[in-house]
Amino acid sequence: MMHLNRVATATFALGLAAAITAGKMDSASAQGAKCEPDQIATKYPSLAGKTIKVATDAESPPYSFRDPKDFNRVIGIDVDMARAAFKCIGAKMELSLGAWSGLLPSVIAGQNDLMWDDLYYTAKRAEQVDYVAYMVAGTGGLVRKGNPKNIHDFADLCGLTGTAGLGTVEEAALRDQSKKCVDGGKKEINILTYPDISSGVRLLQNDRADVMVTDLALVDQLASDNPTLFERGIKVLSDFKIGVAVRKGNKDLLSAIYDSLTALHGNGEQKQIFGNYKVDAGLIVTPTVLTK
Amino acid sequence: MKSFLKRYGWVCATVLVVAAIAVWFFISENQSGGEGAPGNTLSNLASGPAAAQEKISWGREILSYVTLPFLLEGAFLAIKISALAMLGGLVMGLGLALLRLSRFSVVRALAWTYIWLVRGTPQLLQLVFLYDALPEIGIKLDTFTTAVLGFALNEAAFSAEIIRGGILSVNRNQSLAAAAFGMGPLLTMRRIVLPQAMRAILPAIANDTVSMIKLTSIGSVIFVNELTFRSQQIVGQNFKFFTVFIAAGIIYLIMTSAISLIQAALERRFNLEIERPAPGSGFFDRFVGFRSMPPSSGEATVPPAVDPAGRATKKTGSGSPSIWVDALMAHEHWRAPVEQKPFVTCRDVWKSYGTREVLRGINLTVNRGEVVTVMGPSGSGKSTLLRLINHLEGLDRGEILVEDKHVGYELANGRLKPSRNLAKARAAARIGMVFQHFNLFEHFTALENIIEAPVRVYGEKPENATVLAHKLLSGVGLARHAAHLPHRLSGGQQQRVAIARALAISPRLMLFDEPTSALDPELVSEVLGVIRRLAEAGMTMIVVTHEVRFAREVADRVVFMDDGRIVEEGTPDQVLVNPTQERTQRFLRLVEHEIEVA
Repeated sequence: MMHLNRVATATFALGLAAAITAGKMDSASAQGAKCEPDQIATKYPSLAGKTIKVATDAESPPYSFRDPKDFNRVIGIDVDMARAAFKCIGAKMELSLGAWSGLLPSVIAGQNDLMWDDLYYTAKRAEQVDYVAYMVAGTGGLVRKGNPKNIHDFADLCGLTGTAGLGTVEEAALRDQSKKCVDGGKKEINILTYPDISSGVRLLQNDRADVMVTDLALVDQLASDNPTLFERGIKVLSDFKIGVAVRKGNKDLLSAIYDSLTALHGNGEQKQIFGNYKVDAGLIVTPTVLTK
Repeated sequence: MKSFLKRYGWVCATVLVVAAIAVWFFISENQSGGEGAPGNTLSNLASGPAAAQEKISWGREILSYVTLPFLLEGAFLAIKISALAMLGGLVMGLGLALLRLSRFSVVRALAWTYIWLVRGTPQLLQLVFLYDALPEIGIKLDTFTTAVLGFALNEAAFSAEIIRGGILSVNRNQSLAAAAFGMGPLLTMRRIVLPQAMRAILPAIANDTVSMIKLTSIGSVIFVNELTFRSQQIVGQNFKFFTVFIAAGIIYLIMTSAISLIQAALERRFNLEIERPAPGSGFFDRFVGFRSMPPSSGEATVPPAVDPAGRATKKTGSGSPSIWVDALMAHEHWRAPVEQKPFVTCRDVWKSYGTREVLRGINLTVNRGEVVTVMGPSGSGKSTLLRLINHLEGLDRGEILVEDKHVGYELANGRLKPSRNLAKARAAARIGMVFQHFNLFEHFTALENIIEAPVRVYGEKPENATVLAHKLLSGVGLARHAAHLPHRLSGGQQQRVAIARALAISPRLMLFDEPTSALDPELVSEVLGVIRRLAEAGMTMIVVTHEVRFAREVADRVVFMDDGRIVEEGTPDQVLVNPTQERTQRFLRLVEHEIEVA
């Protein structure tokens, strides 16, 4: 019996791995592709009656930010997706607001159940949490209008000042590039980290930084909304995925998120939400579960 | 309540006016902040041609953010966290400060380790540790609890040092006097030391409170949705950092200004230089001050008709202090006979401070009703001997008996061991002590000084104690000064209050440690007069003094000490007029010379 269980688990894992590359999860989970909120007790028993705590920072547009018409509301593609997902699952959710750098640690510590706030998938992070990826990300570098320092590529940043969010993938990319600069005999990149988006923008605006490296969607929005101030200098379409981070070991929650996101993907709600915030629907991908 | 309003009416008025203005703006402005902060997106960074118009409306915009309920909720959260954390921190800090002052080195070391650890690590890391690391061992706290706990634990370390500094700044003689009257360490700390330490403690604690209110902003890392985080969220979507952050700053300023007002009010309360009305009966006063009693008007001192014969039958050292009051107020000089029963017996008393021997084998007996003056050069051990008699300090060798009992010692295996509750033993012995530097409790009026020990140590009713205190004050001629603080009295007056204070506990023995040495010559006689009357009424007294004339006229016996030993003793005629020892003669020549010069 034990032997069979092991085989079954291994097969499932293999199937997952295959799906990551081939993206064929649709057929494998056809039965989870519908929204059945009243079935929560049978589908995800450990979630029934619980309020799920979603960690987000409410200061990262367009993913999570305060509604300018009513400061008591938090909106954004990630927050709206979360609301739609939990409506689909049939469980109550509660937003837990904190500074971005504290969000993931709180999920790992168990203080919150999941993090949904422009979190990129990395193998290192996947050692601590499980992901359900639902969109791809690009990295963008925002520069001042006229691109005075002539920045078009990461390699152009040697000897300049760059800023990125504390603890983000972009910060890691800058450090990586700085090392490459030094190895190539050039000056290193002076890296400033910012605690939140608006302070990063101020760094750029006040000429304390030459480039602000962050999510491509955000960079495009900032550039198009402030054509006299900024423009996009760098665009890198990586295979970075953005996903929901769930604490390891929470199988029911992971399946629930995966199933609901698949449903939202299928019935067009995800596309609609993206459209509300003028985010490029081309960034949407089929939801996938990433556990390492 | 009325007196509170009278004193702090201006504070209340200011607070009410500010609150009224805030409420008015709150009601009159658009609640959601939509007007003052037009629905903006990321495009608000551009300040183009609209800049000129924008400048005029900056003021209104800032004001709209200052009154924004969304931000005010964050401010309220900051206040809640700070209030609870300061409360907890101060209580723990007081405990830590007392541990730091403990006799036991292990206790002191533990307290110091905590302070060293918590003071020396960043508060942000402490908060993250409490929130994210504790769950690993099964302790999961919600954000509010974590914030309050984290700030409280941190504040405890800092306020422990502040409080300890305040306690150490109080003159040691204050606790010495309290100990002499049988007040235990906790009672002394609560009633005498801490109230006086408050003047040093308050400004620093107010500093910490102001800092904490602003420091709550680091709570955003552990999901506390307070004022700074909320303003960052607003800026996160409209990028108007200038107006929003100024508004947040104004809100912080209002909160911290309230702290400053409270600080000013508290400092007034503890300021000894301000004339206070009669103490109120609020909770705080009852804890720190005393129950409200109507101050009696200065009464004329009418000496009661007491017949000398009646006095002869009264046993010395028993009954209420009214005997002494009568004696103090009497005009005739009459002397009760001295009984031949030993009252104080010192047998082979030795005492050293470190390697220095201060007392070397003192043998002394004082009979009931006897007045013994102890004289000698400074350093001869006179004051030390007095302190050993009422066990303010411990014996090294030998024994001292007061009324055939050890004061604060128990016999264990044939050896004397200090008993566990020294304060209780001193209180039971009823030994009154008067110090060279008066050592009145600085923060109490003359009246409060006198009733403190009877009420707190001996459990007498405050009303009775107050009546007696007034009588005693009349007896020493200070009826009009009942409501005066010590610093308002002259040295002679303070010493007379000190004598009254000692009499209030119905002492069986009075110890005077150079009672007039710190006084101007003109004031010496008024104090000596009081002591003389007590002697005549039959009080058993040991008086350490330089006053040769007083000794000649009042003392039954004179003891001359030098270098830790009794050199000569006898009647005043024997020792002062015809001293046999060389050292005595030398000393007397010195003292008489001083008197002539003065």
